[in-house]
Formats: sequence, C-alpha cells, structure tokens
Amino acid sequence: MNQPRATVVPDGVYALTASPEFARDALCFAAAESGLYRSTDGGLTWEPAFASLGEAGLTLTTAVAVSPSFKSDRTVFAAVPGGVLRSYDRGQTWYSAFLPTPPPLVSALAVSPNYAEDGTLFAATLDDGVYRSADRGVRWVAYNFGLLDLHVTCLAVSPDYADDETLFSGTESGIFESTNGARAWREVDFPMEYAPVLSLAIAGRRGEDRVIFAGTESAGIFRSGDAGCTWQQILSGDESSPVNAILVSSDYPSERLVLAVNGSVLVISQDGGNTWAESPLKHPVTEMLTSVAAPAGLGAGRPLLIGLSEGGVLCI
Amino acid sequence: MTGTAADQRYRQVVLQPESYHAVLRGIEQIVAAVRPTLGPRPRFVAVESPSGRNFLPERLDNAATIARRVIALADRDADMGAMLVRHLLWRQTERNGDGAATTAVMFHIIVAEGIRYVASGGNAMLLRRHLERGMRLILDRLAEMARPVKGKAQVTRLAQSICYDREMSGLLGEIFDIVGEYGHLEIRTGQSRGLEREYVEGLYWDGGLLARSMLPEGTPRLEIENAAILVTNLDLKAPQDLVPTLQATMAANRKGLVVTAREISTDIVALLKANTHPGGFQAIAVKIPTVDVNLQAETVMDLGVVTGGRTFVRDSGDRLLDLTPADLGHARRAWADMNHFGISGGQGDPRVLRQRVAELRRVFHAARDVESRERVRKRIGKLMGGAAIMHVGGLHEVEINARKEIAERTATVLRNALREGVVAGGGAALFACQDVCRQGQEQAMGPDERAAYRILELALAAPLRTIIENAGYDTSHVLAELQFAESGWGFDVETGRVTDMLAAGIIDSVAVLRAAVSNAISTAALALTMDVLVHSKRPETRYNT
Repeated sequence: MNQPRATVVPDGVYALTASPEFARDALCFAAAESGLYRSTDGGLTWEPAFASLGEAGLTLTTAVAVSPSFKSDRTVFAAVPGGVLRSYDRGQTWYSAFLPTPPPLVSALAVSPNYAEDGTLFAATLDDGVYRSADRGVRWVAYNFGLLDLHVTCLAVSPDYADDETLFSGTESGIFESTNGARAWREVDFPMEYAPVLSLAIAGRRGEDRVIFAGTESAGIFRSGDAGCTWQQILSGDESSPVNAILVSSDYPSERLVLAVNGSVLVISQDGGNTWAESPLKHPVTEMLTSVAAPAGLGAGRPLLIGLSEGGVLCI
Repeated sequence: MTGTAADQRYRQVVLQPESYHAVLRGIEQIVAAVRPTLGPRPRFVAVESPSGRNFLPERLDNAATIARRVIALADRDADMGAMLVRHLLWRQTERNGDGAATTAVMFHIIVAEGIRYVASGGNAMLLRRHLERGMRLILDRLAEMARPVKGKAQVTRLAQSICYDREMSGLLGEIFDIVGEYGHLEIRTGQSRGLEREYVEGLYWDGGLLARSMLPEGTPRLEIENAAILVTNLDLKAPQDLVPTLQATMAANRKGLVVTAREISTDIVALLKANTHPGGFQAIAVKIPTVDVNLQAETVMDLGVVTGGRTFVRDSGDRLLDLTPADLGHARRAWADMNHFGISGGQGDPRVLRQRVAELRRVFHAARDVESRERVRKRIGKLMGGAAIMHVGGLHEVEINARKEIAERTATVLRNALREGVVAGGGAALFACQDVCRQGQEQAMGPDERAAYRILELALAAPLRTIIENAGYDTSHVLAELQFAESGWGFDVETGRVTDMLAAGIIDSVAVLRAAVSNAISTAALALTMDVLVHSKRPETRYNT
C-alpha cells in the first residue's frame, strides 16, 4: 500500500474534499491553518490554492467543498474567518462573500446535491448558527429559526435534498433537523449528555432505509434508523478519541460500509456500524485524524485522504 | 325597555315539558343563524349595525361572531337556550380559532334528539353519562386518525380552508412552515393595501431606548456588535451603581453595553453617554417591557438564559455593586430603537436554553386557561430565536381590522394543527367516526346507552350534511354514495365528487374538531339535564342586535 506523507500542507488540516471527477483529474483540496491547499496528483503533492490572493491568502481556512456538478461548473468553496470564498476555475482564482459582522468562524460547508438547479449551499458557524446561500455563494443569510444552539460544528444534507429539503446540523448540545431547507429547525431527540456532535452522515434513501450516523467528541458513534427519534451507541469513545468525520457508502444499504476517524485511528464497519475494526495505517500516527475523504467512494482498494491535526495529509 | 327593581324580584319558573321546548327554541334560532356559514361555500349573515338602522348592516360569515351579536332574545324562556349556545360557540372560537359552526350543528342535533328521547320516557342522567362515554371514544378515534401537517403546501391549504383568502393563506403557510407551532407571529396594521411579511432574526421586545439622546442624530436605530448585556429590571438612579458594570464590560473586552432597566435617572444617561464614543464603545439603556411584575420577571429570566447573564431582579433585592465580568450576558449583536430592542446570537449556554424551552413546553401543555397558554407560547416563541411580522393592509380601518381578526383566528388554528395534526376535512373525519357509534349501539347494555350512540351517530353526520346542503347539492344522494366509500372519504363541494379528502388536500385541524366534539357533546349533555328554568319575569333591558 503506497502511503506517502505530503509535506507541503505544513499545518493542521481542518477539512478535505476531492473533485467528483477524481479518477480522471486527481484533484483534491485541503483546508488548513495557513490557507487552502490544492493537489492535482491525488494528494501526493500540494500547492497553495490561494496563491492568487497574495499575502491575504495566508489565512486560516476551516472548510472546503466542491460543487456536485464540478465537471461543468468547476466551482470550489472555501471558508475563511468571516466569509466564504468561491472559485469558478477549479481553485485558481477566488471571489469573496462576507458573512455579517462580527465575523463568525465557519466550521463546515455543505452543498446541495441539487446544486446545479438550486444553487444552494450552507455554512455552519461556531458563533452564528447556519447561513444559507441560494445564489451559488454570492449572498448569505442566517437561517436559524428554532436552532436553539448556534454553536454548529457539522452539517449533513440529505441525498434526496431536491425532494425532501432535509438537512441535519450537529451542535455543541446535540442535533437539529430541518425539513425545509434550513428555514426552520427542530430539535432531534439526541441525548444531550453525549454532545458535542462533531460529525454527521446520512446513509440510504428516503424512508425506512435511511440511517443517520453521529460522531461525538467523547462518546463515540451513534446511529438512528428512525429519522433521529431514537439513537443507539454503536461505538464507545473517550475524551482522547473525537469522531471528527464519518463516511458511508453511497450504495447503502446494499453495501453497508461505514468509515470513521476515531481519535488517531481509522475504524471501519462492514455491517452498518454493528461491528467495527481498526483499519491499520502503514505508518501509525499519534496525532489526531481530523478529516477524511473518499474521492472515488468507499470500497476496497479505493483511495482515501486523511487529514492530520499537526499537519499533512495521508493518502491511502 | 327597562324594568323596575320591583319587576326584578318576580321570578318566572318554567317547568317540564315547556322548559325543554323553550331551550330548544332558543338553540334553534342561533343555530339557524350560523348554519349557512359552514363549509367552503359559506353564505353571509347580515346583522343590523349596533349604530342604528341607517347604517350598513355587518356581513358576517363567522359563526361565533354572529352568535355574539345576539345579546338577548325577546322570548325570555328561549333566551336561556340561545345564551347557552352563544357562550358555547364563543368559547370554541376563542380557544381554537375555528369550528363554531360545526359545534353548533352537532350541539343542535344532540339536544333535539335527546329531548325527543327523554320526552318518550328516557332517563336524562343516564343518557348524559352515555353521551359523555361516547364522546371519549370519538375523541380517541379522531386522535388515531390524525396525521402530522408537513410542509408549506399543506399548511397553506389548511389556512385556505379557514380564511378563504388566497393571499393570506399563502403568507400564513410560508410563515408557519418557518416559525412552527410555538413561533412568534405579530400581526400589525400595514401601510399598503395588501399583505406583507418580514422575519426578524433573534429576539426582540417592546421597550426601546430609555432616552432619545442615546440615539445618534439622524439614525432611527442603533446596533452594537459583541455587546455585554446587564440583565435587570432595577430602577437605576445613582451613577456609582453602574460603575462596576462599566468596569466589568471593559474587562470582558466587549464593544458595547446594553443595560435593561425599568427606569434610569438623567445622571445614568449622562454616564452612559460619557462612555460612548462614535465608532467605538457604545453604552445604552433600554426599557424592560411591560408593567406586569410577573411578565417583567419572566422577561428578565429569559434574557438571562439567552445571553448567559446573571439576572438582577428588583423584588429579590439584588444590587449591582458586587457585579463581576462573568455576571454580564453576551450577544453577538444587539439593537435598539425608541420602541423596541433586540438581540441575536445570544451566548448563553445552549443546554440551559434547551432545558428552559422544554420546561416551558411542559408548562404550556399543563396550562388550563387560554391566557396562561398564550403567555407561555409567546415566551417559547421568543426563545426560538426569530419572529415573523405580518403587516395587514386594506382600504379602510374596518377592512384592516376584519382581516387582522381573521389572520389571528387562522393563526390559532394553524398552531393547533401543527401541534396535534390534521384529519380529513369537510366533515369526513367526523362522518368516519360513526363506526364507533355503530359499534356502541351493537354492544349497548340498555336503551339509554343505545339511544346515546344513535344520537351521537346522527350528530357526527350533521356537519357533512350541512356542508353539502350549503353548497346546494342533494344530501341524500351524496350520503348514499358515501356509505360505500372508505373511511376518510368525503364530498368535495368544489368538484362535486366523493373523494379521498386527505389526498385531495381537504383537511381540518384535529384539535379544532376534538374541541368541537367535546364542547358540543358535554354542553348538550348538560343541557338535557336542565329540567326547570328560572328567570326574572321581565328583562332588565332588551336588545336584539
């Protein structure tokens, strides 16, 4: 297994994403403390993506996302303090959009699966709740009605967003759900004592097959098979093992593969979270794994990118 | 005509069977007046203006308002029945916003059929007991049928079935899709002829700046970022009382200070102004709203939870001299004008806020009277972090007020529907509940019980029957067709077809229907046990407006 450590992402990685055309263009992005980094060789080498911004590009970048219709619109979004930058040329040049002052810290970006038609994306912030843009990232409006906790750490948008307008937000005190495109939120009955929730993933299509996974800061991973009404702890945790990211197979439930970063280890479940196995890394790391991306989807032999808290990206 | 005091001493005693006939006469007069208003094709009732005969009569299509216009009937015996139904309809509307006409027609059938049964030798007390038992079964059946209201389209359709105003129902559908069952909706008089709406982020209260001089010249509104909030309802007189607060604000590195207070002295105003620097630190004082002491204390408590600040309450003897930076609340943004102040991005502990909202929801469900429930609902609505304002315009004040009243009523129904769900509309859900009564008749242990279920079966068909009649269709033909239809199917008077009402989007709030069933049956059961009427021989005053 080839597992080189990239050295050109010099500091802590907050988020990773890859082009939907990864198999062809090998393009991926890493949001880090000193800015956004871009790789065109599947994560082996990295270059600053904000080079066109000059010194202003050396800025904390906390989230990154690409458009689902990247092939045609070549759009990338990156979150910086107080704003969201967008690029229409695969991350070469950037345009800025500011969030209302005082500047909030964006913790996550999530793009509507129906972005090509609705132009909608969401920004979760640690101070001001959720912002939504319905014009491809140009203007942002706070969408917080019913969101009783404005310290939002993660977002998960339904794969059927075009039909159900559903998304979930993980917060310092639990989970909230919106069924109308973030216009209103309602509390999900997630046990408050297990929060903060750091990562969320939605598996399966609408209805009975849908499963929600929630990764917490110190209580492991939880699963709900009834739209968040009840939760079952499927992986225990402790203070040294925050679950910073969860990925699920896009073919769920026919392929019940779930992957999560749990502190400094990568864990995999082949049965929808019932049993877990530690995935051995060729060079075990002691630092926290902060993020993970599966550019070609989850599956045996498919590439994985893993962000590290002290800097660098592991490519598996 | 006014009676003398002596007249009042003489009492008229009305015994059976005349008492029953008199009560029924009164009920029938009111029910006949409101019956045409039931259904999606209501007809209007013209009521002579209270101002006199030379004024335009009021055109009303709301059963409760029509009943309320009848102050007294000339027939004193019948008047007792009329007042019974008048009070019943008003109570139904006041608490639930709708369902008065449905209540009226059901109530009428139960009383009329009940009197007939008692007159033929039935036992009124036993009949009452079985009616009330049947009522509980019907209420359970309705609850089983309820489906949650989901999405803007469904809320809009429900609103349309109440207000029959496409523009208003569209706006209310959008608003309630956002604010939900507890959400804060303020209905204000608008400046344009139509309807407008706006959404306010965060929380706001009535009660603006305590001194106009705090507002920079030429600006109607002041905004402060990263503001410290002193949460209190104290009267602030001496400047030295506020010095620890200003020091704590500086120590907490905040860009501004908002002091909520009941009253402040001119010295305090001067102190706050002296510490305000254009483009820099800003210090203002806003009035904590309402004169009601309890409401004021609740506002202070809620503000404390949202901002994470310690509350300094007048009645607890709190003082500001021992204040520390940790006692100050914090909001990402605060604003104030001369009438309101608000905050968004309160930095209180979200867990505490969620617990407070959950606690208030429990209080809301436990509250019995309308006022308490409304007060708690408003508090929850504010804590949810946003509000909707609907501006209602019109050609003249009368039109605006009428539209505002309809909007308020529709909003009440929508809140209840969002909380408890909806069922097939157009009387179909009540019609479907007849199976409970048929089962009751089959299992009845005696004639009184059997009669009670038979009466309830008739009453449950009455709203559907009236809607069909009001729309001008042949009742017997439609009802015969419906006997073979599935549960939840009804008659769509717009298309003239028997249809699946839920699928067609014809829905009713289950809360409204349950209240209508409960009110109609319990009041009718009570009326059937009234054997004797006693009233003054001559009325003190007679109006018939």
